[in-house]
Amino acid sequence: MYKYNHFIPLFMYGVKNKDIIPEQWYNITPDLPEPLSPPRDHDPERSSIDLLNRILPLEVLKQEFTSRRYEKIPEEILRQYEQAGRPTPLIRARNLETLLNFTGKIFYKYEGATVTGSHKINAAIPQAYYAAQEGVMEVATETGAGQWGTATALSASLNGIKSKIFMVNVSFRQKPLRKRIIEIYGGNVVASPSTLTDYGRQILKKEPEHPGTLGIAISEAVQYTLDNNIRYLMGSVENSVITYQSIIGLEAQKQLEIEGEEPDVLIGCVGGGSNFSGFVFPFMKTDVEMIASAASEVPKFSKGKYRYDLIDTAGILPQLKMISLGADYVPPPIYSGGLRYHGAAPALSMLVNSGRIGTDEVTEEKSMEAMQIFARTQGIVPAPESAHAIATAIDYCRNNENQGKTVVLNVSGHGLLDLSIFGD
Amino acid sequence: MKLALYFTFPYPSRDAFEKFLKRTLPLNYEYVELGIPTEHPYYDGPTVRKTHGKALEEFSMNLLKDTVHMIRRTGKKVYALAYCNLFENDPDGFMSSMKDVGFDGLILPDLLTDYYSMRKDIASSVSSHELELIPFFNSTTPDAAINEILGLTSSWVYFGLQPSTGIRVPLDIPSMYSRIRNICGEREIIVGFGINSAGTVKELRKIGFDGIAVGSAFVNSMENDDQEAFDIEMRMLESETHG
Repeated sequence: MYKYNHFIPLFMYGVKNKDIIPEQWYNITPDLPEPLSPPRDHDPERSSIDLLNRILPLEVLKQEFTSRRYEKIPEEILRQYEQAGRPTPLIRARNLETLLNFTGKIFYKYEGATVTGSHKINAAIPQAYYAAQEGVMEVATETGAGQWGTATALSASLNGIKSKIFMVNVSFRQKPLRKRIIEIYGGNVVASPSTLTDYGRQILKKEPEHPGTLGIAISEAVQYTLDNNIRYLMGSVENSVITYQSIIGLEAQKQLEIEGEEPDVLIGCVGGGSNFSGFVFPFMKTDVEMIASAASEVPKFSKGKYRYDLIDTAGILPQLKMISLGADYVPPPIYSGGLRYHGAAPALSMLVNSGRIGTDEVTEEKSMEAMQIFARTQGIVPAPESAHAIATAIDYCRNNENQGKTVVLNVSGHGLLDLSIFGD
Repeated sequence: MKLALYFTFPYPSRDAFEKFLKRTLPLNYEYVELGIPTEHPYYDGPTVRKTHGKALEEFSMNLLKDTVHMIRRTGKKVYALAYCNLFENDPDGFMSSMKDVGFDGLILPDLLTDYYSMRKDIASSVSSHELELIPFFNSTTPDAAINEILGLTSSWVYFGLQPSTGIRVPLDIPSMYSRIRNICGEREIIVGFGINSAGTVKELRKIGFDGIAVGSAFVNSMENDDQEAFDIEMRMLESETHG
């Protein structure tokens, strides 16, 4: 085999996109080592679980509580996935290996190659599609770093519906280009807390310059959904979102198989946990090591507790059992907005709590170094969130005990709209 | 098709509970589930949840014992439906009291979730008091956990259709049934949560479930002391399951 075969596009070997893109998503629920604790109501007078009927597209809600191990991906969604850049490449990071004097192999699954520049499009397309199929004319959601908002805006437009995006205020101010691209894709973006909902108005009354949190933005998007009888799209945490994101891991499995490789370790970053879970869950039946990398400034793995907690700050949605810093936790305004969420997906939390999945926490400073190392070796400016996973991978490869291993990391997005992290 | 009726004991009051329960005893059905009231019935929907508060105020072990014996005299089996938080510090003491009351067995809705790490000890405690443990699980319970609890028990199984009592979210029920039936084999599957209409009962029967469990559907008629509405509901359930 030619030495530099990893730089040759797969189509040159006769591999077509449809050979890599799976026809079914994978739902880990029936394969978990122990049962997931179900969502809980927290208001004695009403059922927030029942309320989901008015919040989510019905097909999404159905998939939230399904026990089906594999969920067929509709043809139209497959078509949209392909148009959005799937399959994303699995690339061997030879230059990084050389820099680190690493005797093993480093591969990265590059979700930044999607048209919106991150993995978020994987979950936005199906939800927007199902909403449109059900006759919904507008969807609402929140966004932290802006990647989910970008994906939602495009997915809504692809499916002929409108979108309202509540963007965490601090990101809204830090990332004007994100706001602009959401608008170019057809989304209507507002800073959260906003004056569009009662909850936002209450917060602004107490603190007009509130930096916002993802929990607040979720609350506003859900409230806006209920007030306007539209539907809400979920960016992370929920089971169905992780099922949609399984396309990352399923593609990676196929790509590794074509390469003739078996991973020793899988590494990804964790905000709510969707890209990481989607990446690693399809590998769960193997004994591969898995490391979830979070932000030191939002220390959910080292300081969070595994307990029932609110998804949204206002408490409209059901509680989930997850590793959480508390729904009222206000994170510091680190640049990696996607890692500022207070909790992590229930299935991921369970597997971290049981020790099946290892964790790491990386400072913003260290993640910025990793961004630069990756850019200078591999030519890709990763998203600040993804740079946490890269930093964890670099540490892993620098540990002599890990020499010779095959490392696969998920680079969940590019950072080309995040360059102000390095200053104006 | 078998029918299990659920009542939070003793809701809405001792007298009203007895009055309504007695109206059901001549009817053709198999199982009674008596909900042991708790401050935190967290997997119940708002309808059943509100019954626990009143039932806690009215609860009496002596009355529970009399009630269980009254039901058993009709040939129906009677089970305690209890949250594990009621006895987590003293499972043996609780099982002993449930045996003394006269229950045939227990249904523990949170055993395979919040008390998963204690499942074997609790199952052992239930068994050592010669009580049946009814395996309770829902659509998101993993295959391995279902297989394990089936191996620890020998009774019928309770499948929670919906994520909470008295609510309905869209589900692919035939697919769920197919999976659960494959795992459970010949074991009798009683399905509960969110069953409130003749149409739903017909659908579940057609799919292949062996029985249904109903509770939330008649809470309002008990709350409002509406015996006529209660009787209509009961006749519908009896007719749809045994007609």
